Amino acid sequence: MSRDTLQQSIDAGSRFAALYASEDSVRTVLVAPNGETQVIQSPVVDGHAQSVVDLVPAASWDEREAADLYGIRFDGHEPLRPLVDHDPDLRSWTVPVRGHDAYQVAVGPIHAGVIESGHFRFHLVGDRILHLDARLFYKHRGLERAAEGHSPESGIAFAQRACAACAVSNSLAYAHAWEDALGLAPTRELARSRTILLELERLWSHLNDIAAMCAGVGFAAGNNRFAGLTERARRLNDALTGHRFLFNTISVGGSALTLTREQVMHAREQLEAIRDESRRAWRELLFNASFQDRLPDVGVVSTDDARALGAVGPAARASGLAEDARTSSRRLAYDDFQPVAPRRTAGDVQARLEQRAVELLQTFDLLEPLLDAPVDPASAVTGGVESGVGIGRVESPRGATVCVVERADRLIERLHLRTGSYANWPVVAHAAAGNLLPDFPLINKSFELCYACADR
Amino acid sequence: MLTLLRDLRRLRQAAALPRPDRGRSLTLRHVDAGSCNGCEHELTLASSPYYDLQRFGLGLVASPRHADVLLVTGPVTSRMREPLLTAYHAMPEPRRVAALGDCALGCNLLGTREAIVGAVDEVLPVALRISGCPPRPDEIAAALLALIDEED
Repeated sequence: MSRDTLQQSIDAGSRFAALYASEDSVRTVLVAPNGETQVIQSPVVDGHAQSVVDLVPAASWDEREAADLYGIRFDGHEPLRPLVDHDPDLRSWTVPVRGHDAYQVAVGPIHAGVIESGHFRFHLVGDRILHLDARLFYKHRGLERAAEGHSPESGIAFAQRACAACAVSNSLAYAHAWEDALGLAPTRELARSRTILLELERLWSHLNDIAAMCAGVGFAAGNNRFAGLTERARRLNDALTGHRFLFNTISVGGSALTLTREQVMHAREQLEAIRDESRRAWRELLFNASFQDRLPDVGVVSTDDARALGAVGPAARASGLAEDARTSSRRLAYDDFQPVAPRRTAGDVQARLEQRAVELLQTFDLLEPLLDAPVDPASAVTGGVESGVGIGRVESPRGATVCVVERADRLIERLHLRTGSYANWPVVAHAAAGNLLPDFPLINKSFELCYACADR
Repeated sequence: MLTLLRDLRRLRQAAALPRPDRGRSLTLRHVDAGSCNGCEHELTLASSPYYDLQRFGLGLVASPRHADVLLVTGPVTSRMREPLLTAYHAMPEPRRVAALGDCALGCNLLGTREAIVGAVDEVLPVALRISGCPPRPDEIAAALLALIDEED
């Protein structure tokens, strides 16, 4: 029954947004093109549930996670490989790759640079990657479980702590979820204040990603230039909110953020300067042939594959999917928002890099009118329809992040956070196949996903 | 390219970096034992032109076998406990462990009992504690420089 409902909704244009389990049922969250969310519940009978991976390949990791954390067998998902659980037996979690001269290269969980922990197992012939098994969740902290029983106010720490790089996105998705459940609607001022924070997070994040891609090919001058700009963006965050990663700026039902006239003026001046300098630095990257030579036709993700695998964010848009949660964010101040696309949506490393650059400029354009007046504390207004389940959806720098809160009165019964990074990790593994091993750092950096966000 | 390099030189001049007073060095191997990625982002920028950790002889190295100091971030998760110990045992002696950030120090840890082992000093002997959530790049640099001074 629930499979039929799922199929109908997908045929009607809805997209898979999340799948999570509790002890007695599995919930699938879908999002319609207008941003409306839908939850389809299917029961767990004697530890078994029906798989939906044949209808929604993007739900693969979600089902594997639910199997590990809640002991559910998904009928039809074969083989159901462990994901969060780390079985020492290699055969249990890797895809068998056989053939003449095929061998494996194991990387991580500890990497050579300052990188989060995660394990990659490459199956190769020569330098050519046949298949990549990514084993993450080394940083699994059980944040969703630990949040159970917390109030809306105390529970936000679990969403924020999931990832520093997406602290605003994750805690805002959480706040939206609770406000959805409690029937609260943001005022114009609250929406504006939160949109400023979300775009400030995107600003430093995109600058950081461009720096990381330069580092991915060993182009130190470009890396340092954009790392310097990232530093300036983080100093701006600090000047505005007292924290370089904008921690503790989001709360459920309102906002305490105050930006004085002087702070807003300072922000506008800084943004103007960062915009000019990043434009100039970007031009230098464009004219650097040895850098540009590395980018095209590497790590290609076709439009169809991006759609099937459930890619989100800049990576999806670089593959030609014009999807952006900001187009349907009624709780935020994104009036008439249109996603931007690079010159060529080839779905390769070059397209993903260019996507960051065009989105970066768009972020400056979005911030300018938002910062036209001081920001005052604001509250959400009551009076909407209350429900037992609330869903929040926010476009993080890495793509749509969904937070679901199931509540018992004013306490969390189940919290689920599915971040843009979580959605895109299987896409990274897919993009790596067929490429050369030395190009993997670059392919990986072109997505620049968080491990912490996925592992929770 | 020339514009980039010129810009970088200007950036370093504007940052008014102090010159190190004498030659000495300490090599660092970073291990993320379960952090939220905040400490990693700040540590990365500590090597950026605004701080340039390397000019003090503080270099991040690829292998624990080349490291004097193991710089550990995050609470230690149950899945990172073994890799962390492996990295520590791969280091030549004398070796030191620095706990970077509030989580590594065991402050306000979030997570379940099964998933989190605890602060870094529950797994390894900690010689240097750098607090902050996350510590700023200049705080990271200052704390590590104090460790060099101690070694002298």
